[in-house]
Amino acid sequence: MAQVGALILVLGALGFLVSQAGDNLRARSIPTGFDFIEQPPGIQVGEGIQTRDFETGGRALWVGMVNTLRIASAGIVAATVLGVIVGLARLSHNWIVQKVSSVFVETLRNIPLLVQIIFIFTVFTTLGNVSLDSGPIHGWLHISNKGLSVPRVFGLNGSFQWLAFMAIGALVARWAHHHQVRKQEETGQLGYPIVAAGGVLSVFGIVGWFAHPVMGFLGPVFGLIADALDGLPEETLQLILAVLSIVVAILWIRRFLKSMSSGGGRAKLTDDDWFRMIFAFAGSVLVAFAVLVVWPGLSSWLLNSGRDFFQLLDDRFGSGNGGRPFDGKRPDIVKPGNFANYGPAGLTLTPFFAAVFFGVVLYTAAFIGEIVRGGILAVPKGQTEAASAIGLKRSQALRHIILPQAFRIVLPPLGNQYLNLTKNTSLAIAVGYADVVQVGQTIYNQTGRTLPVMAIWMLFYLACSLTISVVVNFFNVRLKLVER
Amino acid sequence: MTDQQTTDVAEPEEETSNLPPKVPRLPPGEWMKKNLFSSVGNSILTVVFVLVILAITRGLLGFAFSPERRWDATATNMRLLFAGAYPQNQFVRMWVSLGIVVALGGLSTGVWRAGGRMYLTSLLLKGYGVGGAVVLVGILAPFSGSARLSYFLVGGLLIAASFAVQSATDEDTTVGTLAVGLVGVSIAVGSFWVIPYGHHAFIDGAQVVSDGTVAATTKGPLTVMVILAVLTYFLGREIADRVDAGWPRKVLSLSWLASPVVIVFFVLRDPDFDYGHIATTEVPIFLAYAVGGGLLLFALASPRIGEVGRIIAAVTLIAAAATFLTPMLQVIRILALMLAVFALAAPTFSGNRAARLRYVTVWAGVVLGLLWLITAINSPATVESNSSFFTGGLALTLIVASFTMILSFPLGVILALARTSNMPLFRVMSTTYIEFVRGVPFITILIFFSVLFPLFLPENMEVTEIAAVTIGFTLFSAAYMAENVRGGLQSIRRGQYEAAEALGMTTAQKTVFIILPQALRVSIPPLVGQTIGTYKETSLLAIIGLFDLLFVARSLIPNQTSFIGSVREQLLFASVIYWMGAYAMSRASQNLERKLGVGER
Repeated sequence: MAQVGALILVLGALGFLVSQAGDNLRARSIPTGFDFIEQPPGIQVGEGIQTRDFETGGRALWVGMVNTLRIASAGIVAATVLGVIVGLARLSHNWIVQKVSSVFVETLRNIPLLVQIIFIFTVFTTLGNVSLDSGPIHGWLHISNKGLSVPRVFGLNGSFQWLAFMAIGALVARWAHHHQVRKQEETGQLGYPIVAAGGVLSVFGIVGWFAHPVMGFLGPVFGLIADALDGLPEETLQLILAVLSIVVAILWIRRFLKSMSSGGGRAKLTDDDWFRMIFAFAGSVLVAFAVLVVWPGLSSWLLNSGRDFFQLLDDRFGSGNGGRPFDGKRPDIVKPGNFANYGPAGLTLTPFFAAVFFGVVLYTAAFIGEIVRGGILAVPKGQTEAASAIGLKRSQALRHIILPQAFRIVLPPLGNQYLNLTKNTSLAIAVGYADVVQVGQTIYNQTGRTLPVMAIWMLFYLACSLTISVVVNFFNVRLKLVER
Repeated sequence: MTDQQTTDVAEPEEETSNLPPKVPRLPPGEWMKKNLFSSVGNSILTVVFVLVILAITRGLLGFAFSPERRWDATATNMRLLFAGAYPQNQFVRMWVSLGIVVALGGLSTGVWRAGGRMYLTSLLLKGYGVGGAVVLVGILAPFSGSARLSYFLVGGLLIAASFAVQSATDEDTTVGTLAVGLVGVSIAVGSFWVIPYGHHAFIDGAQVVSDGTVAATTKGPLTVMVILAVLTYFLGREIADRVDAGWPRKVLSLSWLASPVVIVFFVLRDPDFDYGHIATTEVPIFLAYAVGGGLLLFALASPRIGEVGRIIAAVTLIAAAATFLTPMLQVIRILALMLAVFALAAPTFSGNRAARLRYVTVWAGVVLGLLWLITAINSPATVESNSSFFTGGLALTLIVASFTMILSFPLGVILALARTSNMPLFRVMSTTYIEFVRGVPFITILIFFSVLFPLFLPENMEVTEIAAVTIGFTLFSAAYMAENVRGGLQSIRRGQYEAAEALGMTTAQKTVFIILPQALRVSIPPLVGQTIGTYKETSLLAIIGLFDLLFVARSLIPNQTSFIGSVREQLLFASVIYWMGAYAMSRASQNLERKLGVGER
């Protein structure tokens, strides 16, 4: 009764607000359609996979999304590495290391991230200009108000074949690792699983460096797949996708029910469980409906991009014929018009990217450092003592006893930090890095479609958050199962 | 800093109990061997880190003390950084606001008997450290000879003083932390009277620099603040000694809650009340609601009224909803809704005559407060300002942060209760809301509220951008608050629920009197953490163009062409301000956590 009343109240209030907004929007003749996605936006963005001459507004937003994902994923990796180092340093027995890392943490996490980003950006803008002579730079690193440029390693045509070599090498290395571990467990003799796996990998790497053309046969194989995809009729794929989504949902529900029932019988299902199952099924039906009716273009797009992908692989695998699979180049400076800038040879972080990247990485690393420290401290002291009692060295105890247990404690808050980092990259708008928020703002300033652009932002970030929490939850569940 | 969360929860406790355990100290040689050079690897690490620290320090000092730095830009615009474009001739209001906060802080410190004692030796160790640091600054910074010498002198004096005190006292001497803090603040404020920092101002488009100490309009009020803090502290102690500690604490907690409202709408904004209108409109409304509503509530809070009361309350709610169908003053509608809420909650607070009277008094107070607040907001301000909001800078940052925290608290508690409720509809609604808000970045919500919020309002209603943004901030913050409170709710053991049920309490009574007080106590440390987060997140206001501390620090002040390129200095200064606030709060929360931990058996 109270629930229904509250629901009516909430819905009533929402309906009132929405109708009010509708009236106001009409009165001020503010457009709300999503048609800008299909039309050329007539904007330029600062950086990304495409910067000008967009055919559609959707493409421009997509560029912004890719930029967000790029900075977020690079940031997550860098912040994790730095954060773990900081966390371990805070527990160091060396007084000065410990003090330096705690000053790092206490300084960075108590200053707003936005202030840090803007400060880094301001420092970049006050740096000197790139020199006016064009040509390669002598040195590894070059910083100026145009950004930060470092040497770039890039794959030549043989790199794909080399990577295929390494994939096989990884399988063999995995087997070697297992083998050594099993031997160690069976005989009690100290094996060398890490050394063995690393050795196998490096042997494959070295051999592959010279012998990679052997893998050239993969090219025609991928070509065949591309042809097969080309021949597949669109309707078939539609049907497959629709059936697949419903089958996946049903399988998931079955597994869910199975996990709920223990030996004695089925556990009582709570409302939440029902909600989940209904939600999963409704979602799959929705997906099927979308694939079949609402958006039939999706399956042709999927077909085309799949075919293009395999065609690309075909080309890449076919054209490598000896020579180095990888090469590196030093940064250079080019001068296309009157203004000098970094050329494409080096890996260049623009000041916009660098400000946001270093800002979120340093800030998040401070928090991750605290989480790692807390996680290690939360492992009972008895574990350390027991490890040293059975004769493990400090480094061994850390690797085999402490860290695996700490990881279990650390994972959920770590996932939270990844979420925060991803959301915090939206502060890019303050310095003008072309992320999804900035591109969206440019678009709505141009077209006046404020409401739809904001909806796209929120959906995009919700999707990111959901993905990260699904991944973290997956590992969380796996780790929990290992427990006892 | 106005740290309101920490003050109304501290536990009474003896002054000696929070003395930290004494760590046996090694002589310096052995200490270094143990902590810096215990192995070859450690020694290498030590050397490398020392070199890195020296290089970084040198770089920072070279930046800060380079002759190219325009620190006078910061000194000149100090007023803007702290208070935005608040009119200069009304500036005493700013000081009064600060005075209110300081006085409340002093009183609370006294009444709660906060502050412990620390060993003198650990203080002296800090003295050595600071002295050494000052000497190091003298060595590394790009100074002239005489300036370098004065740094050496100050550093040497500090070390010598520490040494003298150490040899004069024995090892177990303790000092009060409050006294230490007071001495520190006094030295800082006293230096304004003695050391010639110079006096910078920007008057009529020209920079005015005079030698000597800072202006009397700065150092005078600051000195008054220090004296006020000391006086109120002793007053607080007197009060705590003379009377039962319960009610001063209640009054102080309520004053902290009310202080942002009073400061913003009464002291700083100074509404120009139209007393004729008030006498003909507001006063009758107040009388009608206070008396009529009071009688209704007095009847409804009777334990014997039973089902009839429920029906009357429901009718009140329907009547309140019906007020939205006909045109009338917004105040009447809001108060009608409040009355309906109070009527619905009446059975929870029912009891004997005294309890019923207390309930009616609270109701009258709420009516008075709401009416006063709404009238104040709707009255024009006497303080004239040329920007959209009458103040900016750090003041705006603190105002938005404190309003957000105060407003999001009840919302967060409601959301948390809904999320843990066993009614699925409530749970789904609350979970959807919380997860949605937590899944999107704050900046998108902020832009939404600053750009689109006016569209959602009825036609004749207007809201300033600051208010719209604060509402958005509150809604955002409430989702995180709900998660913190939920953590507290889940830590309550089943037995508490069962015991409350055994006493025959209703669900509402159980929640209000048994569960929430315990849950909130547990969730205080995360809530302080959230306060820090809110304080830092206010910097995002700069993105949508509101004149908060970061915006002022980042912007070029009109007419000050000579200061172009001094943004880094301003940003560094703003960072230090933000850092001090956040660091103070995080230390306070650590102390609090320790204290609460002590209380938890």
